[in-house]
Order: sequence, then C-alpha cells, then structure tokens
Amino acid sequence: MSERLRADARALPVLALAVVAYGFAFHENATLVQAGTYGAIYAIAAIGLSILLGNVAQISIGQAGFFGVGAYTLAYVTTNAHWNFVPAALLGTALAAALGLAVGVVALRFRGHYLAMATLAFGLIVVGVFHQSAALGGANGISDVPFPQFGALTISGLAAYWFSWAMVALVAVVSLNVLRGRTGRAFEALRNDELAAEVAGVPTRRTKILAFAFAGALAGFAGSIDAGYLGLVTPDTVGVQLSIDLLLMVVLGGVGGVSGAIFGAALISIVNLYGHDLENWRFVIYGVLVIVVVTLFPGGIVGSLGRIAARRRGSREAPPIEQQSRAPAAPAPGRAADAGAAPIEWLRVRDLVMRFGGLAAVDGVSFALEPGRLTSLIGPNGAGKTTVFNAICGIGRVASGSIAIAGRDVTGWQPHRIAGLGVARSFQNARLFAEMTVLENVMAGAYRLEDTSFVADLLALPAARRGERVARERAREMLRLLDLERIAAVPAKELAFGDRRRVELARALASEPGLLLIDEPAAGLGASERARLRDDLLGLRARGMTLLLIEHDMRLVMEISDRVMVLRFGTLIADGLPAAVRADPHVQAAYLGAAG
Amino acid sequence: MLQVGGLAQLVVAGLTVGSGYALVALGIHIILRATRVINFAQGEFVVLGGLIAYTCVTRLSANAFVALALATLAGFLLGLCYERFVLRPAARVGDLAVTIATIGTVSILLYGHALIWGSLPAPLPPFSGTAASTVELAGASIQVQSLWVLGLLALALCALYAFFERTTFGKAIRAAANSPTGAQLVGIDVGTTRMMSVGISIALAAFGGTIIGPITLVGGAGGVAIAIKGFVGAVVGGLDSPVGCALGGLVVGVVEKLLEGAFSYGIADPIVYSLLLVALLVRPQGLLGRRAALRD
Amino acid sequence: MSAALLCVRDLHAGYGELAVLRGVTLDVHAGETVAILGANGAGKSTLLRAISHVGADVRSGTLTFAGTDITRSSAVDVVTLGLSHVPEGRALFTELSVDDNLRLGAYRRPRTELAASLGDVYERFPALAARRSQIAFSLSGGEQQMLAVARALMARPKLLMLDEPSTGLSPQIVVQIFGVISELRAQGTALLLVEQNALLALRNADRALVFEHGHVALEGSADALQRDDRVQAVYLGGTVDDA
Repeated sequence: MSERLRADARALPVLALAVVAYGFAFHENATLVQAGTYGAIYAIAAIGLSILLGNVAQISIGQAGFFGVGAYTLAYVTTNAHWNFVPAALLGTALAAALGLAVGVVALRFRGHYLAMATLAFGLIVVGVFHQSAALGGANGISDVPFPQFGALTISGLAAYWFSWAMVALVAVVSLNVLRGRTGRAFEALRNDELAAEVAGVPTRRTKILAFAFAGALAGFAGSIDAGYLGLVTPDTVGVQLSIDLLLMVVLGGVGGVSGAIFGAALISIVNLYGHDLENWRFVIYGVLVIVVVTLFPGGIVGSLGRIAARRRGSREAPPIEQQSRAPAAPAPGRAADAGAAPIEWLRVRDLVMRFGGLAAVDGVSFALEPGRLTSLIGPNGAGKTTVFNAICGIGRVASGSIAIAGRDVTGWQPHRIAGLGVARSFQNARLFAEMTVLENVMAGAYRLEDTSFVADLLALPAARRGERVARERAREMLRLLDLERIAAVPAKELAFGDRRRVELARALASEPGLLLIDEPAAGLGASERARLRDDLLGLRARGMTLLLIEHDMRLVMEISDRVMVLRFGTLIADGLPAAVRADPHVQAAYLGAAG
Repeated sequence: MLQVGGLAQLVVAGLTVGSGYALVALGIHIILRATRVINFAQGEFVVLGGLIAYTCVTRLSANAFVALALATLAGFLLGLCYERFVLRPAARVGDLAVTIATIGTVSILLYGHALIWGSLPAPLPPFSGTAASTVELAGASIQVQSLWVLGLLALALCALYAFFERTTFGKAIRAAANSPTGAQLVGIDVGTTRMMSVGISIALAAFGGTIIGPITLVGGAGGVAIAIKGFVGAVVGGLDSPVGCALGGLVVGVVEKLLEGAFSYGIADPIVYSLLLVALLVRPQGLLGRRAALRD
Repeated sequence: MSAALLCVRDLHAGYGELAVLRGVTLDVHAGETVAILGANGAGKSTLLRAISHVGADVRSGTLTFAGTDITRSSAVDVVTLGLSHVPEGRALFTELSVDDNLRLGAYRRPRTELAASLGDVYERFPALAARRSQIAFSLSGGEQQMLAVARALMARPKLLMLDEPSTGLSPQIVVQIFGVISELRAQGTALLLVEQNALLALRNADRALVFEHGHVALEGSADALQRDDRVQAVYLGGTVDDA
C-alpha cells in the first residue's frame, strides 16, 4: 500500500477520537452539535469530491447538483409517499449515482477547464430545474421533511450528530477499500498518466465514469441525510455556493483520499459557526487560504502534516540506489510461449495508412512478425516509427489498412482491449506513474490479469483481498527477476534514469504479454546500462517472447536483431537480415544523405 | 404579443447587457490565450470595476468618464498583480491548481466586495442625462445609456484591434501565446507578455463593469451570473476567436432578454446554462472557433 | 588563431533528470561553418537548445559567446547578443502573417534597422516577398523553413544555428535552403549546422563534429570527414572493419 494511503488510514482513528471527544464534550451545546453534524454531512460529499479530484484528477464544480438530487429525492418521497429514511436515502443515492454516471459519460469528452465548465453548467441546470419545478416546491423547495426514524429512535439533535458521523465512518471505510484495491490502482494510474494506463490495460473511460458515479453517489447520500436533518431543502442551499464550499473543504483539508476531506469539512463547518458575524471576512480568508494552499501546500493541511510526520519518523524508504553490473535476467515468458503450443502469428499489419492533417505519416506499411523473434524498426527522424507503434497499440486513428493481433482484427480497438490480448508497450520517455511506487507501477501493469470487480473492492470481499495478495506477489516476483526489488517502495518520480526504463519494462512484462513493443529503450543510457539492456532483451527473446524494437543505436540493433525493417517517409524501404540491411545502398542513402 | 417596437426594445436591452457579457468573454479569451486557463473570476473583476468607478464618483466627485478611465487603469494594475501573485505560482503546480486558484479568487472578490462596499447593489450615474433618459428610434424607446454602452463597446473593440493587430507589442503578445518557444527564440519575454495579457483582460473586465453599471447595477451576487453568461457567450461564439467571443456575448444577452420578455424572469437562466452544455456537446469549438484549438 | 565566437567547454546538458550531453567541447569561429552530425538521440539538437537556452537545461560546463559568459543567461539575452537559433520544429508564429513573423524576428534590434532588414530579407527570399500578408500556417513546408531562417536573419545574428533544415523537405527545396546557407557563408555569418543528412552537411561546412551518445566521437575538417569510413560506422553501426 502506498505511503499516502497508509497515512490516510492512520489519520482516521485520530479523527474518530476527535469526533467522539467533541460529541461528549459539547453534547449540551446545541449550536456546536449542529455545527459538528453539518461537518459530518459535508464530509461525506467532500470525500467523494476528494477522490474524484485527488485520485482521478477530474474536476467538478457541480457536486451540489448531486447533493441536491439526493436531498430532493428524500424530501419528496418522505413527505409525499411516506417512505422511511433508509429506502429514501438509498433511492436518493442511487439516483445521484445514475446521474453521476451520465455526467461521467459526458465528462469523457472534456478535460481541464472545459470539464470544470461542463460540471458547473450541470450544477446550475439542476438548480434551475429545482427552481422551476412546481412539484418540487419551486423557489420555496420542500419543507416539513420528517426526521429519520428507526423504530422508537428519532434521529435529531445529538442523535443526528452520532448518526451522521457513523455514516461518515461507513463511507470512509468503503472508500478506503476502493482506494486500496484494484479500482484504486486504476484511479491512480489514470491520474498519473492516462495514456500509459490505457496502454497497460486499464479501461480508462469506464474508470472515469465510475469515479463520477461514485462521487455523485456520495454527494447524493450526503444530501439525503441533510434533508432529513434540516427538515427542508431549497434550491438556494444546493447551488453553486455549495459546490464551491465543497471544493474549498477538499482543497484545504487535502485533495485525494479520505481523511483530508473529513478534516476540511469539519474545519470549515466549525469556523462557519464561529465566524457567523464575520460572514464576509470568512470567505475572503477561505479564498486566500485556497490560493495559498493550492500553490504552496498542494497536499492540503492534512497532506502537509502527514509529510512532516513521515520525515520525523525517519525514512523507511529504500536504501540508496546503486549501479550494478548484471548477469542476464530471466523475466517471465509470454503467455503463449508454452513449449509445444504452436506459435501464434502475433502481429500482421496490412497496408497501414495513418494521417496527420493531410500528411500521410505512415503510407502503406505491411509486415508480419515472426513469433519469438526480435525485430527492429529503424529509420531517420520523422519516418513514422512511433506512429506505427501507436497504431498497433490502438492510439490514433487508422486512415486505412488493418492490424491483426493473434489472428484477430484489432483495427479501431481501444488500447486497453488490445492490451488485453497480450500486447505490452514501453514509451520513448518511460511513462511511469510518477506518484506510485515501483511495486504499484508493476501491479498496475498486470491490471488485465486480475478480475476483482469494483463491488468486490468496495465491500472488501475475501475474493478481493485474495486477488490483491496474488497481484502483489506476482509483482514482487517480477521485480525480483529484474533485480528491482531493492527499489520496490520508491515512488517512480524519485528513480534514477536508468532504473526508470527497467521499471517500465517490468510493468510491461507484468501483464505476461506475448508481444512486446519497445520504443527507443537505449536512449539516454550509459555504456554499462546499454550492456544490461542488451542482455535483458536477449533474455526475453530466449524465453520465447516476440519483440518489436524502435532504436537509433545502430550497434545495438545490428547486434541483437533477427530482422531489421527500415522506415522512411512512412514506407518500408528495407526489410531483412541486419547485415543485408546495413549494406543496402538505399538505407545508406537514407541515413547518410544521397549524393547530389 | 410583442410588437416590433417591443421587440426592438428587447433586442437593444439584450445587446446592452450582452455588451457586458461580450467584454467578459473577450477577457476570458485573452487570458486563455496567454495562460491556457479559464479565469473563473472574470465576472468578479467586472463587478470590482464598477465598484471602483462608483467610489471614484462618490468619493472623488469624478464624472462618469474619468471614473471609467480610473477603473480601467485600476483593473489593469490589478490584472498584473493577479498574474504575478496568483496565476503564475499556481501554474507551477499544474493546470488544475490554477483553475482552483481562480475559484478561490471568486471567493475573495465576491465577499471582499461586500465587505468594502456592502452587499446592496450600488447605483452608478449614467454617462449623460439621467438613468431614465430615452430616445425614440424606429418606434422604440431606447435608453440613452444603452447607446453609450454599445458605443463604448465598439470603442473598446477598436482599441483592442488596433493594439493586437497594429502594434509591435500587441503582436508580440499574440506571438508568445501562439508559440512560446518561437517567442523566446526571437527574444520576447514570455513572462512579461503573459502578465500584460492578464492586465489587459482585467482592464477590459473593469471597463465592462463600469459601462453597464448604470443599467444593471453593480455589486451583490451579480458577478457570478455575469461570469457564467460570459463563458456561455465565449463557448458559443468560440473560445479561441476574439470576434466569436464578443459576438457570443452579445448573442447570449439578446437571447436572455428575449426569453425574459416572452416567458418569465426566472426561466432565462436555466435555458442559458443549458445552452452552455449543448454548445459543449454539439460544437465545443463554438461558432467561429477552430477544432484544432480544442486540443489545448 | 583568433578567439572563438562561440566557446563550449565540457557541456553537460539535458532535460530535467535526463542527461543527454555528457561533456561536449567545441568552438565556432567567426565566419566559419561547423556541422554537427550523428545518429538520432546523440544529442545534436540538445546542443543547440542548451546554447540558446530554449528547451534544454545546462547542467554544468561553460558557454561563452562573443566574449560574454552565457552559461546562465536567459534566452532573451542570448538573442540580444547576436545568437539566433532555428529549431527543428521551426517554432513559427503560425497564426501571424509572414510579414509579422519577420518583424518580430527583429524584436531585439533597433527600430531604425527594421525597414532595411526587411528589404534585405525580402530580396533574398522572393517567395516570401510574394506572400508577405499570408498567414504562416498556410505556407508550404519549404516556405515555412525559409520563413524560419529569414526570421532568424532579421536579428542580424553573428552566429546562426540551424537544426536539421532539410528535414521533411523535397530535394529542390533543400537545394534552395542550402543555397541560402552558402550565401550566408560567403557573407561571413558564422553557422552551426545540425544535420541528419551527413553528406549534404559535410559538403556545406568547413569543419564537422560527429556526436555519439552525448559526446564528440569524431572531429575534423569537412573534407577529411567526407572520406572517413568511420562516419558511416557511427550512423549504421558496426565497426570500421565491416565498412
């Protein structure tokens, strides 16, 4: 588990203690109890936003819309249809989740400020609908909403305080379950590098939609409780101001994870109480704090405290990274390369054409890869080599032609589906998930091999926990094979350059691919690192993996390739044995410059 | 039903309030070009401009035009500070951080205005005559102030055009936004151009707040609504096209007034917001924008 | 030997954590043309970017231009001193006209020079003169390359650095571009030329350096290197014996 999640989980008992202490200390003071209850209600919504913003990097300034849906649903069915609290709240949550799903689908099309605006528009439209809807009370909203009733127990006043915080505990546990499991890993990978995640097999679109639905559900749940607590819901209380307030809470407390959101919500609710006379000053100060925090303390208050505490506790982190010369490693074989199984034709590219703004970057390329062989794709700058790789992985639109992997036509498939067939790829600039540890990066690479569902994660079912254990073991094994175990707990962004490439390779190998695409692995490597790379690649080939390599280091290419293809201006000008290719006058002209 | 005179009146009213939105939209465009981020606080600067003008009039006994000049200058200086002390530091963290920082600015300004000027809308004196002065044009009763607004909007647009198309520094700003690398290679200081762009954008916002102040009243919670409608205008017209932004703002204003005239007061807002969502879904680059710009 | 116009001493440069140049030393004298050759990834472009301080970081070493230490200067200072860089991607102001691009090229020069500089450039590049009000992104690849070079010339540089001017251009255009390069040589402008097309570069330079994995592997006069088999080895792998 990453340091951040661990810190998150550690903070929770502290917060729980504070909540209990507060409840006992101030149980006579109705105003303070009320503030504390609001803190709990907003905390639930804030957790959802915190995960959406901090773990999946999707901004939403429309969470109040979901809150409102939950609140109005509960208000409506309890006043008009006399439902009890639990089914009403469940319905409110479900509707908010469904709406979150819809928003998620729409959100796929936007990023950054467009996404912010779209979510803002969503929130405004929802409020507008509430305002205009006579059935929902128009501008006056719905009042006389009954308190939640559990048998003889009426949830109001102090009981509401304990009840709300109990709900926070439930939500916190469930959220941590999600973050700790396969889904959480998918979130993190998506946030760190969406493209790399997709290529590694994470279904990024589905994951984003799920995140929106989850955040919407939590906001809706909070709204339901709010309606039952307040006894009333009006359009004004679920407008833009609330969305901004939630954002404030999350940013101040600490984006990402659970405890920051809880802290932020509680803090703001209490300050709101005391600052009641200082109405305007309060918000001016909040605004200043948000800017200061987001600029100087991106982890929020909780995040920064956590970092200070970690530093004091001393580094349990990895020992210094040493340079070692290596004996050849023997990574796991490709899934299909079992002895006795007939080799699959892993890749067949037919008349591939890819265009960028009118120019054909790849102009009619055809080839098939022999299984178990190392093929290099070389060519001058801008020849289209990376474009070919992208096409094979499902990145970019194929103008014409086809790509078949393991016999199946994958033209037009999304990258994560192609990854699911056993294709792995490394990038020119080692796209690691920077904030995740080496171990987590490798675990993320094996996404397609796991089958734990979101619900299983949510409820921390035994199957999910077992799946986690297996995934972790498998990843450790991979690190052992590539001699990377010593840096397993190091965040990827702190790695030395040479290690970065190997970790990316480990991540690619974690999915047990049959076909491995490697883009310029030797770039930026020193002599000893290049030697180690050569040994690694030869080792992989020895194990039966099919390898396609883009490289500029000609010595390396000529040394290890079974076959060399030369690309120039989008077409193959040579294809054959290394020595033959090197002697080919066309190839020499392409690289050295033609006479005249 | 509405007669022609009534319709013309609504259109003019729409163009008037739309001028405010157009100026917001233009300001958003300029900041977006320069910093690659949407300034969610643009509307608050509009309000701030109007409030500064109000102070000039009441405390300094300045006339409306002097107040306009002072407010615009104040906006420019504030914009420089805004870029230097809010946007630039946040940009070092990431784009999401800048978006959040602009939202934080909304909070500061929205309540800061109330702190300094109180939360009731403040009346600004009109540029000529009284607030109620009207002129008869084509059978419709047009407020004189509206004519001032439209005239001053045209003036602002001309000034912007002249600056960005005809002066070296204006071109340098566009160049830096177009290709920061290219700008550095010819010796343009990209940090300075960015700061100036934001300064101009906020000056525009302040200008807008002052000219529509006499009609729509400044202060109160108007800033958020103006900002949002300004966005809608910018998105509908095309975020990467200055003409599109200005046009979009005017269109939103007219649509709003027509809806209000045809139906009730409250219905215009949700419809205008839906327009934003529809635009983002159907044609995110807006009427005059280019598809290519979306990739930014 | 006169003091070099550009002195690069033991330069280590790269991008953030990535080290590309590992100790490069070279000189460019006034009026001479130096070609930088080598395979992709060898660090050729990184060298130019480190010198002009646009796009690469200098980690250690010294850079001196026209007697001034520019190791830690800003990009703006470098241009003002008379060092212009035409990058591989050209970095044109695609939304501005040809004329505006050129005018901005002289951003750091005195206003009084502008008319004369423009006149010179339009005379040298008649194709651009014919298209002066056209928007840059609508020009053809060759015209864009010309514009990029022309824009750099507007700053009347003492040293002009060109990064792969022939990339993506048809042979005729390449001839044109190198015609301009010859003229500049004749006029005494110093040139630092990065080219993937080794033979073309060697034919148009006085001296050349061959880069490999971030340091200088071969160095010599252009004539000598044209006849040297080791150049081919560096580009296509293998050893001298295989050549």
